[in-house]
Amino acid sequence: MHMADALLSPAVGGAMCAVSAAANAYAVKKIKKDDLCEKKIPVMGVMGAFVFAAQMINFTIPATGSSGHIGGGILLAAMIGGFPALLSISAVLIIQCLFFADGGLLALGCNIFNMGVIPCLIVCPLVFKPLLKNGRQWGRIAAASILAVVVSLQLGAFGVVLETRLSGITALPFGTFLFLMQPIHLAIGVAEGIITAAVLCFVYKIRPEIMESTFDGAAIQNGVPMRNVLIVLAVVTLLVGGALSLFASSYPDGLEWAVGKTAGVEELEADGAVFKGAASLQEATALMPDYDFKDAGEDGSGIGTTVAGMVGGVLTFVLAGAAAFGISTFKKKRKGASPA
Amino acid sequence: MKDKIRQLYALEQLSGGHSFVHKLHPAVKLLTAAVFIITVVSFDRYAFGRLIPYVFYPALLMALSETPYSMLLKRFLFTLPFCLFAGISNIFFDRASAFAIGGVTVSYGVVSFFVIVFRVYLCVMAVLLLVSVTPFAEITASMRRLGIPAVFVVLFEMTYRYIGVLFEEAYSMVTAYSLRSGGASGIGMKDMGSFVGQLLLRSFDRADRVYSAMKCRGYALRVFPRGRGKLERRDWIFGSVTCLLCIAFRIIDANALFAGIFRGIA
Repeated sequence: MHMADALLSPAVGGAMCAVSAAANAYAVKKIKKDDLCEKKIPVMGVMGAFVFAAQMINFTIPATGSSGHIGGGILLAAMIGGFPALLSISAVLIIQCLFFADGGLLALGCNIFNMGVIPCLIVCPLVFKPLLKNGRQWGRIAAASILAVVVSLQLGAFGVVLETRLSGITALPFGTFLFLMQPIHLAIGVAEGIITAAVLCFVYKIRPEIMESTFDGAAIQNGVPMRNVLIVLAVVTLLVGGALSLFASSYPDGLEWAVGKTAGVEELEADGAVFKGAASLQEATALMPDYDFKDAGEDGSGIGTTVAGMVGGVLTFVLAGAAAFGISTFKKKRKGASPA
Repeated sequence: MKDKIRQLYALEQLSGGHSFVHKLHPAVKLLTAAVFIITVVSFDRYAFGRLIPYVFYPALLMALSETPYSMLLKRFLFTLPFCLFAGISNIFFDRASAFAIGGVTVSYGVVSFFVIVFRVYLCVMAVLLLVSVTPFAEITASMRRLGIPAVFVVLFEMTYRYIGVLFEEAYSMVTAYSLRSGGASGIGMKDMGSFVGQLLLRSFDRADRVYSAMKCRGYALRVFPRGRGKLERRDWIFGSVTCLLCIAFRIIDANALFAGIFRGIA
């Protein structure tokens, strides 16, 4: 589910980065208010590392022969609370981005939102917790975790589709993309939900106090108006998206896409049909590319320009390769010449 | 499984080098990588030719920092599948023909497919190179300097360090499981709850012990002044030249210029 830089436009990536940064900053503020803040940090760090380790354990899905691993958003939120869980997941995603190239630097905002903000700040307080308010029996924990994981994966997958579509890099139609992503993530969600349920039931049986404390005692959880958080996030998205698209449109040589995309964002929230219109309009304009293969060159032949462009491209690659090769050979030689 | 953890810390070993690139200020490296990625991503989906000049950045940086090419390439291949999926769908959905060469018509979908793959290559390389030439302590030091709250930076450091530790824990549990189950390769679905739950409880207990140990050694949530402060001349030169080139290639179609010169000669 990690999105890559290459499929994002700067406006969408930038806006989502701002949203996720705001959500994280809010979480930090909430945690700092807690008396146990200092003690919570090692727990959060180790739990983040736990998610990493747990993702490496493959389980075999019975009767299919395939295997999967857990994602961990809901699991962490249930164990240590929504805000600390968001910070842990963000740390994990940054490490995955930097050290495994899983998702990109610009795409971090999207990834943190889809896999962190959605399960920890939206699904956990709105779906998971209400279900467990009146008693925490085995069946209730199981049902709540399966439902919460499925909902957060569906929302996350929808986020991926929406963000990719708004960026306009892939030509995949919105509906097709949606029909590919949602069922796949429904299957993944059910499997992950069952595992999450099993883990939480086990932990609750052996050490009930861990979950009890995140539900009842924790000062962090009390009096957090979820509505305010969501409003702030929405405002930040609109502001940053708007600012970025204004900035983009002031370029003369056409970052036209950004305007189209951001117009798409606003339309979407207003009306689905308008969005469809905007999307098709944007599709039509995108078919007139900057890179004009058919354009006739000064000497009159379009093919000539194309071939020249290709040869130019190949030469650039060769030049870059040669420069890199030259530098490394030079470095090796110098090392060989002066044995330190 | 062992491979993955070796991968994680291999990059850190590379970052201990002494080349020109390693010595640059971390903030400058971060800024240039960000400018590079944003300019690369800002091209439209058919602009293959415009992207080509950007290949100089990873090529030269890799050569200057003596980073082994094969290692980074392997990671790039791991990240490819999802993007390939998005790219291949372009081939199917975007069939308008872009140009013909030797009787073979090439559609816009094919062009945009190559643009996506090339873009992934450039962005992934930029991030991996950034990490492979910057020691972890310097990354977190510049995070602090950028004003990211100490709570988050400490959390980030701890997560990174404890991945190795918890991984060992998980690895020994998996080994024990497979020895007792006649060499099963994965954990059975019905055992997954107690298995992961057990790992989780162990992690929790370990976190407690870690906290006590840290407290004994005088840990408090303070901001430690660490890492280098001032920018040197080489930082200014590298940063400004790279950023200006990135932006210049965004504005000027260098490939077309180059092609024009080539046509002029031919």
